[in-house]
Amino acid sequence: MIMLSELSRFNITDEKGVCAKLVDLSVALLDSDYPPVTNLFYIKDNSFMKLPWKAVESIDWKSRKIKVADLELAEAVSAEAKNEYVLLKREILDALLLDLENRRSIRANDLLLEEENGGLQLRSADNSITAILRRISFGFYRRNSKNGIYDWKYVEFLRGTPAAVRSGAGYHMRITRLPPGDIAQLINYLPYLHAAELITLLPDAKAVKTLEVMPIERRLQVFEELETEQAIRLLALMAPDAAADLVGLLQTGMMKQYLERLPRKQSSRIIELLSYPENTVGAIMTNDIIYLTGNLTVAEARTALRERFSDTDFIYLIYIVSDEERHILLGVISLRSLFSEDDDCRLEEIMDPYISTLNAVDEVNVAAYRVVDSQLAAMPVVGIDRELIGAVTIDAAIMQIAPETTAEALRIFS
Amino acid sequence: MKDEQLLQGLEPIDSVTAGLPTPPRRLSAGLRIQIRGRSIKLRGLKRPPKGLWRWLLILGPGLVATSAGNDAGGIATYSSAGARFGYDLIWVMLILTVSFAVVQEMCARLGAATGRGLLALIRERFGIGWTLFIVGVVVIANGGVTLSEFVGIGAASELLGVSRYISVPVCAVLLWYLVIYGSYARVEKIFLLMTLVFFAYPVAAFMGGPDWSEVARGAFIPTLRFDSAYIFLLVGILGTTITPYIQIFQQSSVVERGAARHHYGPERIDAYFGSIFSNLMSISMIVATAATLYAVAGSSNIESAADAAKALEPVVGSSATLLFAVGLLGASLLAGAVLPLATAYAVSEAFGIPKGVNLDFRRGKTFFSIFTALIVIGAGIALIPNVPIFPLLVGIQVLNGVLLPIILVFILLLVNDRRLMGDLKNSRACNVLGWGTFLLIITAVIIMLGGQLLELFGIQLFGQ
Repeated sequence: MIMLSELSRFNITDEKGVCAKLVDLSVALLDSDYPPVTNLFYIKDNSFMKLPWKAVESIDWKSRKIKVADLELAEAVSAEAKNEYVLLKREILDALLLDLENRRSIRANDLLLEEENGGLQLRSADNSITAILRRISFGFYRRNSKNGIYDWKYVEFLRGTPAAVRSGAGYHMRITRLPPGDIAQLINYLPYLHAAELITLLPDAKAVKTLEVMPIERRLQVFEELETEQAIRLLALMAPDAAADLVGLLQTGMMKQYLERLPRKQSSRIIELLSYPENTVGAIMTNDIIYLTGNLTVAEARTALRERFSDTDFIYLIYIVSDEERHILLGVISLRSLFSEDDDCRLEEIMDPYISTLNAVDEVNVAAYRVVDSQLAAMPVVGIDRELIGAVTIDAAIMQIAPETTAEALRIFS
Repeated sequence: MKDEQLLQGLEPIDSVTAGLPTPPRRLSAGLRIQIRGRSIKLRGLKRPPKGLWRWLLILGPGLVATSAGNDAGGIATYSSAGARFGYDLIWVMLILTVSFAVVQEMCARLGAATGRGLLALIRERFGIGWTLFIVGVVVIANGGVTLSEFVGIGAASELLGVSRYISVPVCAVLLWYLVIYGSYARVEKIFLLMTLVFFAYPVAAFMGGPDWSEVARGAFIPTLRFDSAYIFLLVGILGTTITPYIQIFQQSSVVERGAARHHYGPERIDAYFGSIFSNLMSISMIVATAATLYAVAGSSNIESAADAAKALEPVVGSSATLLFAVGLLGASLLAGAVLPLATAYAVSEAFGIPKGVNLDFRRGKTFFSIFTALIVIGAGIALIPNVPIFPLLVGIQVLNGVLLPIILVFILLLVNDRRLMGDLKNSRACNVLGWGTFLLIITAVIIMLGGQLLELFGIQLFGQ
């Protein structure tokens, strides 16, 4: 095991006795959990020279020498070609890394490498103070710390630009296994370009869920860094209320472009939500809710819901309406009662008709307190003729009245 | 059906929602756009405001950071320049305004283009050695200047008739509470309000009844004197105007404000406006003391901002003293918060620690601890009677003098890195002005350090 700070003081020598100072090492991030060192780099006559690791014959740890057959085998690397390699010193050392186990970002104060089958592998990142002391002591201080060592298997290295993902740079992808809330937490500590890179890295469904729980200003900042095609894909999958909040902040030209290119259904929902003024219930409600007509039986309702659950934002309460055209609100059924009642019961028999409602143009803060006080997962929103037009979820209500320092958006029920 | 008894007092839905909905108190104007050939009216509430509000909302990190530079030390230096040499040094301020604006704008651009603070970029591009050096100097220098701000608060409050033993702890707690419990947006607004106190200086300048033709001469006809007091004051003005913590704070707060490269324009205006506003206030201080102390009593020595305020009283009356005191109190309060914040930003960015005023204490423990420690130590030491602040400030000036050219080189290298900056890379004109500023600063630093070194051996670099 050797630290990069120590390895940086090594020389490369060949059989003819030619010697060069090791400047950097490249690794293949995609090859395994512990990326192998692929090339050694040194400088000769002001040129950056690359020597493949397979040219290494042995490492003399005591005299700090990497012995190779012939240094003449090295080839010069242009400044542009150099950017194609992931260099340990230039790119990973001192960079921001994601510690996936503890869900936080760290700086790589040093890197730990280990010899395995004649090769050298990147095993972990060292975030300890000891690592800093080692680096600034020019080799006089050599102690290793047991704390602050992060197994590379659970570390994600970001380049700080979403373009890196599109150009096929290597990533662990373990980040995709974290829940959206945890990813959003991580993102909040990252610079916005790193955050956009991370969102680009995620599968669309997870990226959407992550964006939805990010504070709106951060969501906008990250969203604007995404490529148009990806941005449209994500907007199409996003809950309409979250999408409307985002689209409502975009510049007019951009907003128009997205609304025109989104699937018609999603575009209409967003437009509907955006048509309500900022300080009204309509501006915080979701219009992606489940409603059924009262004449359906419980069994029929279950079948109908099976198709609609996957693409509906709020599913915990099922609203019962008069008919498929006018949607006059009659009552509500909880998901629990839908599964506990007999199959033959009609929905209008088991629904709760005693529900409070909100109007779409009600003052938003008053309405938010009503939702919170009601202890319901959501309160339906109706128009002048009592037609159902949406619901204000408890998440949206809490966010409305939460102190301004509240960082994340709540999306527990949607 | 539900148990009817439980539902007593409730009515079925039909009667609950009867009647017209209550409209909200304020319905805002909408935005009409064409989507797929249909004309649609959307809420237009988050559109940028128009008129004066639009310009006022742009102001933020730039104005706060640059105004914080007009702190107790700054007031002392500018007042001293006016009291000692009349209007002769105003031309320096005009040149410095250009340099200052260029440097501040570059920092704002770096922040918006990368989303990272200055120390984070220095760590990533230039390694741990330089980072530790800069962080070390920043912590010591900013710690010392924070102390001087609390001394300034004490002195200003005593001029206003309040004991420092009351004002310093109260102000320290207020500043601490504001940053720990406020959001960035709220803190920024309060900082912006604090900058209003600087208008005390133009008012004081007008009250002094300056000879405006002399002011114009001082501003546009450069005067160079080769005596040590003049040269050191000139260097002092440069060091007071362009200070590392101002650059660090500007960039970090642009990042925390959420400015991104797609919306960089307003940040540029903020940086330019802040630099011009701040230097106009500095010029006002020079004019105020030049028109009074210098014009009436001839060349006078001033060592602190409080001295300047006291010296004005017999010449202009107590109102000018009060104005100076109010200005000093506001300036020290602003810098007393900005300096610990800049330090907390710098340390956190260097070591990858979660940072930001927007965090709660649980998530930003280290960031807020650094901020708290600087406030507590600064305010605590400022309460010690006869604390030798002057030698401390001289030492800090040396530290900042060493740091400034280094920081400036890093800023210039970073802002010219296309991989980092993309289209926001420095233009040729910016580079000429930036490197010109560097030359100016390095010359000043050599003069300052060389002069102080030679003085140790009893050699005077310039005549008296």
